[in-house]
Amino acid sequence: MIEAVNISKDFYDIKAVDQVSLTIQEGNVFGLVGTNGAGKSTFLRMLSGIIKPDKGVIKIDGMDIYENVKAKERFFYISDDQFYFNNATPIDMKNFYQVIYEGFDGERFDTLMEQFELTPNRKINTYSKGMKKQLSVICGICSNTKYIFCDETFDGLDPVMRQAVKSIIAKEIADRNITTIIASHNLRELEDICDHIGLLHRGGILFSKDLYDMKLNIHKIQCVFHNEEDAKAMFDNLDILKREQRGSLYTITARGNREEITNYFDKVKPVFFEILPLTLEEIFISETEVVGYDIKKLIS
Amino acid sequence: MIIIDYKDRRPIYEQIVERFQELILKGILGADTQLPSVRNLAMELSINPNTIQKAYTELERQGYTYSVKGKGSFIAETDILLKKKKDEILEAATLLVKVAKEYGVSKDEFINAISNGFKEEA
Repeated sequence: MIEAVNISKDFYDIKAVDQVSLTIQEGNVFGLVGTNGAGKSTFLRMLSGIIKPDKGVIKIDGMDIYENVKAKERFFYISDDQFYFNNATPIDMKNFYQVIYEGFDGERFDTLMEQFELTPNRKINTYSKGMKKQLSVICGICSNTKYIFCDETFDGLDPVMRQAVKSIIAKEIADRNITTIIASHNLRELEDICDHIGLLHRGGILFSKDLYDMKLNIHKIQCVFHNEEDAKAMFDNLDILKREQRGSLYTITARGNREEITNYFDKVKPVFFEILPLTLEEIFISETEVVGYDIKKLIS
Repeated sequence: MIIIDYKDRRPIYEQIVERFQELILKGILGADTQLPSVRNLAMELSINPNTIQKAYTELERQGYTYSVKGKGSFIAETDILLKKKKDEILEAATLLVKVAKEYGVSKDEFINAISNGFKEEA
């Protein structure tokens, strides 16, 4: 289990992470999403023991992480910009990781390299960006750690590779019940593979929830009412995040499950109404809009 | 066998449940057929195995499947469920008749359209 309690990290006068508390259970696939500069990478780097939080505690299986080898053996961090030794080949990296990670599966490494059609004795600095990413994923999977942290891992991969990597991660979850944290902007993709989502914004955490609960508890509603009073009565009852009006057609984003919302509408009997679930992308936009992160401000 | 529609807004597990229900009720997957293992289906679709597990649990709860410890999930006898589905369809047809009446579609015209529909199938 990963536990962060009130951790903060400042870079000079910038609050990169501000009093974030987060618990990630074993076996979760945790999607870390957030606005640009929200502190996702900083959070992952504190979780990996690369930087130390200024305040608060962060623990992995009850152990402190910073400068603690025992804790660091339990996870593999696939960073955004991978680091490889100068002039190293994948074989060198394999030998290196075999020293670091006791459970490193050398055979699996060779098989995966072959499946991904990467040449193991070619210098890594001649690899393309995407190939370097693939290599880091292979290293991460083969290290056989209980936790894997991915920082925008999918973003540099082509569509076929993304599916392949997701499929490999799915296999690891099924076989070894690994816990994964994936930071990404590709919300469509996170929806496939994650079961929990944590949303960061300006260093703080907006929420951390089960993906299905989240999807079932926020809806988009299109409706037309007979008169203004009906509309007013309706809006007072609902927990509305956003409301737009075009002519007599209202488009509302509201919290609440489908049944609750349907019940309210049945009472008022509008001319027309339709309830749609939100995609993760739409949830992201509405939730950040509530705290003042609004596209309209950016383009006007 | 299972296809996920990425434009569909519903949770993925609901899509999987629905797809299996269809395959089972239409008789494409017969009784006692084994469902693909959670692991294999998760890898094939590149999605979280917990999602598949959730879908399988839901199918079992609704009586579409049964599970054998250590072996996996199998398709149950679905006569009752099929009957229920047929009843639903007939009910929907009755509603449609109501609408047809309102718009002045005559009984003969309606029956004719229905017969044509059945002919196309045959």
